[in-house]
Amino acid sequence: MDKTGKSTKRLTTARELNTVVLDYYLECARARHEGRPVGWMPPMNGAIEVFYAMDLQPVFPENWSPVCAAFGLAPDNFERSEKMGYSPDLCGYLRNIVGYVHGDMNGEGVPLGGLPEPDLLISFGGGCIPAMKIFQILEQRFPGAKVFSADLPQVAVEDIREHHVKYAVSEMERLIEFLTETTGHTMDYDRLKEVVEVSDRACELWDEIMSYRRYLPVPFSAAEIGIMFVMVTRQGTRTAVDFLTRMRDEVRERAEAGRGVIEDEKIRLFWDNIPLWYNMGLFNYFEKMGGVFVAETYSAAWSLRLDTRNPIEALARKSLMSYSLVSCLSIDRRREMVLKACRDYAIDGAVFHRNKSCVPITLGQADIQQALLSELGVPSVTIDACHMDARNFSLAQFQTRADAFMEMLLEKKRLKTDRTS
Amino acid sequence: MDLGAYLSRFSQAVRDKPNNLRKASECGERIIGYFCTYTPVEIIHACGFLPIRIWGGQVEVDRAYSLVPNFICPYMRFSMERALKGEFDFLTGIIQGYTCDVACGLMNIWKGHIGMQMYHSIALPYNDSAESREFFASALKETVIRLRDIGGTFSEQALHESLALYEQIRCRVLNLYEMRYAGALPFSAADLLTIVHAGFVMRPEEYSALLEGMENHLDTDTPPEPRGIPILISGSLLEDPALIEIIEGYGHRVVADDLCTGLRHFSPPSGSGTIPLDRLVDRYMNRFPCPSRVRAAQRVPLLMELIGRSGARGVVFAFQKFCTPHLADYPIVSQALRSRGIPSIVIEMEETGIMEGQLRTRLETFFSMLEA
Repeated sequence: MDKTGKSTKRLTTARELNTVVLDYYLECARARHEGRPVGWMPPMNGAIEVFYAMDLQPVFPENWSPVCAAFGLAPDNFERSEKMGYSPDLCGYLRNIVGYVHGDMNGEGVPLGGLPEPDLLISFGGGCIPAMKIFQILEQRFPGAKVFSADLPQVAVEDIREHHVKYAVSEMERLIEFLTETTGHTMDYDRLKEVVEVSDRACELWDEIMSYRRYLPVPFSAAEIGIMFVMVTRQGTRTAVDFLTRMRDEVRERAEAGRGVIEDEKIRLFWDNIPLWYNMGLFNYFEKMGGVFVAETYSAAWSLRLDTRNPIEALARKSLMSYSLVSCLSIDRRREMVLKACRDYAIDGAVFHRNKSCVPITLGQADIQQALLSELGVPSVTIDACHMDARNFSLAQFQTRADAFMEMLLEKKRLKTDRTS
Repeated sequence: MDLGAYLSRFSQAVRDKPNNLRKASECGERIIGYFCTYTPVEIIHACGFLPIRIWGGQVEVDRAYSLVPNFICPYMRFSMERALKGEFDFLTGIIQGYTCDVACGLMNIWKGHIGMQMYHSIALPYNDSAESREFFASALKETVIRLRDIGGTFSEQALHESLALYEQIRCRVLNLYEMRYAGALPFSAADLLTIVHAGFVMRPEEYSALLEGMENHLDTDTPPEPRGIPILISGSLLEDPALIEIIEGYGHRVVADDLCTGLRHFSPPSGSGTIPLDRLVDRYMNRFPCPSRVRAAQRVPLLMELIGRSGARGVVFAFQKFCTPHLADYPIVSQALRSRGIPSIVIEMEETGIMEGQLRTRLETFFSMLEA
């Protein structure tokens, strides 16, 4: 195993994802050539459905960072941003995208043609501080782009009150006004309703796909979690629904036929925090000892169902909830989610990625680990790394911890089997 | 009392804060803690509670490491450690304005380990519009409800009085800042930092009275002759005056700051509006901004104005290690200052505190460059 590497994928549809990814970035480039306004925005909010409904092109710089990591571009980007004075202690997404936009964005060797420059920046107050700062830096880099300064209350899901929703709705309405004024594209509210319905259908399919992970053996693992790409970039499009439908069919078929990820699934694992984008092969590492990653925290953020009767409010609520679900805004809520996932998916052990690049997800992990052990008897191990920067990942340390953890889980399982037989 | 005695009183308030607050709590005072100065202390005070800023300070981190990673700022780690050791057991609760991912997460971790009656996070708007002001007012009303739930009482008149009290305090401290800009402050910048810290842990009524008493001794004392290079310190939270003392020890002067344990906490002293709640909202909307709230480019003219008023010739950025808002703004802000002829240096405060030997070498080089 190398320090960086790709995962092994078993699903045919997961392999089809490459085409979906390529088509998306080609569409972004085409938008620029065709004069369709390109807007850069943070993920996990309702602006994406608004963009697709208004025939505007959404681009997600945060999502571009995993692409850079997977294609080995991130080290050069880090070097460039660090030379500009950005501290290596800052989030890897921030350092990567800052380095990328200050280099040759569409030069030779840049995968998928790179990103088109933005006509619009949906810069926001809200979410995590690094995500917010990324857009403020982008404003400096692209002074010609029209900037929408969005405002999204940072509130725990369980603390959302009427005034939060009212304010988020007013921000959605202000966004539509801004886009109309700056691009000349107007909102067709019937079209928005359709887009929200399609987006909700994608969430429904996502939930259905995840539900098949309850099967023993599990039909697909976290090694295929790149499928999340359609939930990040294609929410509200038929592309997402069609892809997820094919995926659901394949997953269902595998689940019902009892076809697992590996021949002999012995240990069912849970992953907490963002994956190591430069080493997705790490998910496969446990397979040699019979361990499969059955579920992960991150996938929960993409299954927010939308009330299609009231599209604007549905998107406002989605915007309020998405960040909260995967951050330290509510550790209680996250703990409940992880415990529920570990019960639902019959998890034997959990791997917690202590992620130097993501403090909001890392904070609270110790409490969740403790709850897993005391309430469910599920042990866990901590892996120190960073989702973007391989310099913060020690392969030897990972292997030592992973091997010892798997040995312990196998022994625990053996003892349990002995007792019951 | 002479000026020295007043300064001793402030130092004493800082030094004895754990005992003083514990005693106050035993005598029936109900105390609410906060991490960030964007927490609207006036609401807490108006509801009958004493708001105090939670401190970190140098302490050996042991138990906290089982709960938090080592890549969060020392201030939050230290405060967690102290909380786990029971040093904040006099607190009734914590209210936190959301300005920092770490503070938000730590409050929730405290919630799981430190038993208190309330933990409440206030979502603060980033924009200033009629809608955002209405939203913020609603968030403040929700805070009042939460405080009432734990026995607080609230009235518009009480808020009016709290606003007046804190305005008085801010005006008094800002007067000290004005004296410092004019070179007429008869004590050091390290002393001023201590005075600021005393305000975080004293009853505002007593603090205001002490400031008022000290005012009578400011004009009579002869201010020291201005000497050395005038410096502005910009950064997050500076708990220990050691950095300032080192700068002053070299014969230079800290003439201005952009710290949350400094100017940002006090400016502006009040807001405008017809009803107290509107005045409170207006003040927080118009605060001298922290990088967690605004863009780097918005801070540059404010820093240049401070530099112009104070005559500062260089900037020392003093950051808590891992502090994202400050670290993310630094390249743009330092470059903008450099292009305007203002050099700067970064000092990061780590868990081990200030690495004095290394710091001295870097500062000496910086000062030599400024003197050249």
